[in-house]
Amino acid sequence: MRPARFYRRLASPLHAARAGIGALWVASLCAAALLLYNPLALAALALAVLGAAAGAGVGRHVAGTLRTALIVALPIVLVNVLVTRDGLTVFARLGDLGPFGQGDLTVEALVYGAVIALKVSTLIVITTLAGLAVDPDEMLRGLRRLSFRSALTASLATRMIPLLAADAQRLDEAQRTRPDGAPGGARGRLALFGAVLGGSLDRAMDVAATLELRGFAHATRARPRLRGVRRPWSRHDLAFAVSASVVVALALAGRLTGAASFTAYPELLVRLDAGTLALCAALAVAVLMPACDRRGIEP
Amino acid sequence: MRRALRTALVGTLTAAGLLAGCGLGPGSAPTGVRLTVSSEFGARVLRQLSAPRVRGRETVISLLLRNNAVKTRYGGGFVQSIDGRAGGQSAGQPIDWFYYVNGVEAPKGAADTVVHGGDRIWWDLHDWSQTQDIPAVVGSFPEPFVHGVAGKRLPVRVECADVQGEPCRTVTARLRAFGVPAAISTIAPGEEPSTLRVLVGPWPTLAGDPAAQGIGRGPAASGVYARPSADGTTLSLLNADGTVVRTLTAGAGLIAATRYAQSAPVWVLTGTDSAGLARAAKAFDPATLRNRFAVALAPSGEALAVPR
Repeated sequence: MRPARFYRRLASPLHAARAGIGALWVASLCAAALLLYNPLALAALALAVLGAAAGAGVGRHVAGTLRTALIVALPIVLVNVLVTRDGLTVFARLGDLGPFGQGDLTVEALVYGAVIALKVSTLIVITTLAGLAVDPDEMLRGLRRLSFRSALTASLATRMIPLLAADAQRLDEAQRTRPDGAPGGARGRLALFGAVLGGSLDRAMDVAATLELRGFAHATRARPRLRGVRRPWSRHDLAFAVSASVVVALALAGRLTGAASFTAYPELLVRLDAGTLALCAALAVAVLMPACDRRGIEP
Repeated sequence: MRRALRTALVGTLTAAGLLAGCGLGPGSAPTGVRLTVSSEFGARVLRQLSAPRVRGRETVISLLLRNNAVKTRYGGGFVQSIDGRAGGQSAGQPIDWFYYVNGVEAPKGAADTVVHGGDRIWWDLHDWSQTQDIPAVVGSFPEPFVHGVAGKRLPVRVECADVQGEPCRTVTARLRAFGVPAAISTIAPGEEPSTLRVLVGPWPTLAGDPAAQGIGRGPAASGVYARPSADGTTLSLLNADGTVVRTLTAGAGLIAATRYAQSAPVWVLTGTDSAGLARAAKAFDPATLRNRFAVALAPSGEALAVPR
């Protein structure tokens, strides 16, 4: 059986941390990925995130998304190389491309495209980790105090995704049990997609009708919890909160001090000295540290 | 048979690629290139490099980026600022960076214009409230006569009202001194897409030429900020706002360049009278014309940059 690609409570520090803190930690990783442009620092962050995913028991799934990321990353590099004219180090000349002008491909455009692709891939990896290791129900429970109806709608929508995946799996298996086998290639996939889409619309109608019957339109804001029931901060909550703060602080420091400076145009200027290496090491430690504490992680 | 066909196909494609300027690496570098960066129609020269850094085949934008601190927009297709001087608004008027190759406004963007050997690249930050289109300028003389337009040398014809006259002979001699095989003829109005024409004569004799007529209609039609009167007896000099700031009368001359429709650039040497024309012909040299969009000659002999 194929392992689920959705949140499941596993024995890991990230799963053990409360969802709000997990989401904060993931947001800090996203902020760092957006702030940093130095390829070495970005690579260190990406590797550390993969390490953290392994620590959370979802390393294989997260690494698997790199294939998806590649689908996005390659066009980014290709388009940047073809359209950007800011670079100076030409590595190939395609001549006059008519309406597209002179096809001078530069190393700078290639590297900058690769950096942006790495940034996007890192963000994909981080958000995948969030999807697999941060409890969506707990997150939405927290949100219902702000907007009950939005929280409920979002909760139902996220519940639908694994349901649709299960539908697709069942239909796929059913197709394969037919005497003439499942139709192959795009035709087969299209048929499967149509069936799943039709099922999802039916489900949506059912859910909408049920919500209506249960007075969704008249729902009121949830009352805050009683003080005594509030869950105390665990060691993992603290560890991930500290990690989040340190990651953001390091990314900011890298930007402000120039330790992670990177200039692509007109000529490449990548800072690569002891300061940069120290920043990379500190980032990796800050991301990985909370994943090392294995006490009290059981579901 | 099949193999031979494949080899022939690959060979043809490779040859076509090489002929189209394709290849690996930066390619061969142009020599003798000059780069000028100025503002206010050449009045302030910010940087003049007689031997700018070049590395392999360059486009106008890559040459600029290699030699100046430049900020670009739209993926390097549009220059926003050079050495900290940005386009935008100045004294309520729109200003931007414009470039000329061998004194000719390029029809393509700077990222698509290839620099050829001997080219003079000129970037100028100026007010474009009167016109965005200044098709040709005189400040890169002896270009475009020596190295031509877009890497192609063009035939040069000096068209004179009086082919035996001193101004005509002076202009032709100056061009020939630069190795330009200039032909001489009487004025022959018409569109010449591949011949650089130099019109020499008092204004009334040129007024029938479409390019000269453009100058008579002002900067919006010709890119020249000087306007001879219909009878050619006065020459009004305009500033960047298009306001007349000085009017020259007897003995005044003008050297300007423009373009009509799809023709090659047309240079005009004229005067309010024969004395003015003689002054214009005498001033037809690189020192007088350098970094100027057009030049007016006052009766005193003073060379005045246009626009004022």
